[in-house]
Amino acid sequence: MGSITEPWAIAESENANATAKGSSRELRHGRTAHNMSSSSLRKKSDLRLIQKVPCKTVKNILSNLQEVILGTKLALLFLAIPLAIIANSYHLGRPLIFGLSLIGLAPLAERVSFLTEQLAFFTGPTVGGLLNATCGNATELIIAILALASNKVAVVKYSLLGSILSNLLLVLGSSLFCGGIANIRRQQWFDRKQADVNFFLLLMGLLCHLLPLFLKYATNGEASTSLINKMSLTLSRASSIVMLVAYIAYLVFQLWTHRQFFEATEEEEEDDAYNDDVTVEETPVIGFWSGFAWLVGMTLFIALLSDFVVATIEDASESWGLSVSFISIILLPIVGNAAEHAGAIIFAFKNKLDISLGVALGSATQISLFVVPLSVIVAWILGIKMDLNFNILETGSLALAIIITAFTLQDGTSHYMKGLVLMLCYVIIAACFFVNQIPQKQQNGMGVGSQPNNNAAGGFISA
Amino acid sequence: MAGIEQWSAAENGNGNAPVTAKGSSRELRHGRTAHNMSSSSLRKKSDLRVIQKVPYKGLKDFLANLQEVILGTKLAILFPAIPAAIIGTYCGFSQPWIFGLSLLGLTPLAERVSFLTEQLAFYTGPTLGGLLNATCGNATELIIAILALTNNKVAVVKYSLLGSILSNLLLVLGTSLFCGGIANLRREQRFDRKQADVNFFLLLMGLLCHLLPMLLGYVAHEGTPAAVISDMSLNLSRASSIVMLMSYIAYLVFQLWTHRQLFDAQDQEDEYDDSVEEETAVIGFWSGFSWLVGMTLVIALLSEYVVATIENASETWGLSVSFISIILLPIVGNAAEHAGAIIFAFKNKLDISLGVALGSATQIGLFVVPLTIIVAWILGINMDLNFNLLETGSLALSIIITAFTLQDGTSHYMKGLVLLLCYIIIAICFFVDKIPQKQPNGVQMGFQPMNNIVNAIGKRVFSS
Repeated sequence: MGSITEPWAIAESENANATAKGSSRELRHGRTAHNMSSSSLRKKSDLRLIQKVPCKTVKNILSNLQEVILGTKLALLFLAIPLAIIANSYHLGRPLIFGLSLIGLAPLAERVSFLTEQLAFFTGPTVGGLLNATCGNATELIIAILALASNKVAVVKYSLLGSILSNLLLVLGSSLFCGGIANIRRQQWFDRKQADVNFFLLLMGLLCHLLPLFLKYATNGEASTSLINKMSLTLSRASSIVMLVAYIAYLVFQLWTHRQFFEATEEEEEDDAYNDDVTVEETPVIGFWSGFAWLVGMTLFIALLSDFVVATIEDASESWGLSVSFISIILLPIVGNAAEHAGAIIFAFKNKLDISLGVALGSATQISLFVVPLSVIVAWILGIKMDLNFNILETGSLALAIIITAFTLQDGTSHYMKGLVLMLCYVIIAACFFVNQIPQKQQNGMGVGSQPNNNAAGGFISA
Repeated sequence: MAGIEQWSAAENGNGNAPVTAKGSSRELRHGRTAHNMSSSSLRKKSDLRVIQKVPYKGLKDFLANLQEVILGTKLAILFPAIPAAIIGTYCGFSQPWIFGLSLLGLTPLAERVSFLTEQLAFYTGPTLGGLLNATCGNATELIIAILALTNNKVAVVKYSLLGSILSNLLLVLGTSLFCGGIANLRREQRFDRKQADVNFFLLLMGLLCHLLPMLLGYVAHEGTPAAVISDMSLNLSRASSIVMLMSYIAYLVFQLWTHRQLFDAQDQEDEYDDSVEEETAVIGFWSGFSWLVGMTLVIALLSEYVVATIENASETWGLSVSFISIILLPIVGNAAEHAGAIIFAFKNKLDISLGVALGSATQIGLFVVPLTIIVAWILGINMDLNFNLLETGSLALSIIITAFTLQDGTSHYMKGLVLLLCYIIIAICFFVDKIPQKQPNGVQMGFQPMNNIVNAIGKRVFSS
């Protein structure tokens, strides 16, 4: 035990020095673990074909196009985007549109991450870091806002919750499991300070979800439903502002004052083996305005597909015989996180647990403390009554997911059993939402948790 | 941080790690786990002199064998309770007496089963031996659970298993840490937290499996028919049980093959010699095997008595069934391990004490509980993982408190005291809880508490 700990501690401290010096390259581009993870899905584009094109402008446009569209191993899935649009305009089956849109979202999410990284080359590390922190989960944010605009508050809550759960249990679990199996004879270490910061924030987010839920149970029989809703709504909006403040503080902590916690330690000497696929892209491959235009375009496409997803989710739910809650909590996030998920696993295979953890936990924190309160505030602006009260089942799952993950990462080492337990927890939660056929009220978001008694019962009878 | 560093340096300097790696091969050969080592501390060397005088060789062997098995434990004094219980049943003793005698009789049997599995492990090799230990370690609990199931007393099953987890986590661990802390007041008490951690992930996962079916009951609104909810909860529980068994199998693989080194109890230190003496098997394979079968049958018989008389004892003694099942049954069932864990804590061998308490809790939580659900499924009984709110809450807090207690890899008596006091609080809670449970149908326990409990409370309020 000791014989292993000690050399590591020394190695780590040497490494810390190395990081402090060597990481300036990283700092310059504002790359975070999140970005590095999706970059593992990229491939070097082969520009030979394009070199033969005679006209210079056409050549530039084509090479730009190739970098952006074909620069990912998920490029094949781009085909789903036009198919989804065609299916929509010809009014094909709505479950089909739903499926195609979901598939089309997966490469778009990866590309947005690529483009923000490209822009960070021009904007400098701090603005780049901010951009990453904001656009890292752009897909989730856009889906949430579009679902809000269609007044589907339950879908918003479910998909955000599902995204947190999937990052904490599925992405992290499969990374630790694969990493543990691949490195079964080696010690697997990570820096637990970085993980800890995320857990404080996640626990704080949990508190913000827990209190509005308890308000409902705290009331005695006399309190009218509208009074409870009003209290819960006011509390949720105040909590959302506090959560956003916490997120801003987290960004300051991460990008300025305690930057060294979050540096992914990829400068180790042993790295040579995989230098080729991560460290090669040192220079921007596209220009600033081109990147910006692409980003806007991609965002519009994401919005379009998200719109399809939101509009067809109920139909898909009916024709597939799955509840809306199962689709939103389990299926949507699996697709939305596909690129990060793959990246996290690839880094775990290479025994770079810090990066895998950074991806999974960073993403969970970002959704919980940025996307969720932002949705509540957007809903407030739109005049929709969305509160932070997820239902008791969802909040319970979230609480245990956070606690289990926090315990798992307490000691700074990893083995496959940890990953397996996290994955199995995800399976159990998925099974729970799969069997849960109690109908939820869709029309009025407050109904999802706050006043289930009267209305939901009515909904059940009519169903 | 610096402290940790220093500690790891000290650990390294001791040269503990290499010694363990080399010296533990002897342990590995016999597949002994912390669980076994703990109960072995209750054993005594049998004195074979009297038997040597018996003339016939066959008879002599037989007597020696009998002496090893029956008298090889300090708990042998409790064996007379077994015939007393059996005679009591036929002579029509009052039921509480039979209940008490059966409980007393179960205590030495639990210890002897552990002894026999260890003896068998000498012949089967370490891996099979480890598997045998992992399965028979809590044989008593498993047999009581299955017998209670066949009598359709689902509430007793749930309570006794829950109680067993609570008692291992809080009582056994608490007293061990407390006694160890008092006895080694001036010394550092350290243990390897990696081993403890693995148990906690699994226990937390088990908690999740209990929590979700319970929450499903609360999601439902008044319009939802109870049948729909119990159906959902039942399906979820059965699926979860399969997942739990998978995780237990993975845990065994982890423990017995891939990460064996985490679980090797370090008992090779020189200062400590009384459990290392029994290096050879004292009885033969077939003899051990037949003893094991015989003991299991007697355990089954006594468990049957316990299950049959528990309600009667509850009425006579004025204690609720839940108190008897959650508090009394596990104290008796775990007595042998409990004593062992304390003895090792006195010797500052916290790794073994922890291995006993946590290993046993994990085994019940992730093996006995799901197995019971699946047996119930086969028998066509509707048993789910939904313990009630009070029980699940106690379980959740016990797991979390214990996990926090063991976070830093050191111990002092205060930790043990707090765990012990938590157990007392939970015991008091079940002692004062007189709300009657519906016994006949297990699924009801927890599901539609609204009507029944509200009625019960209403009646009490009005009558008082």
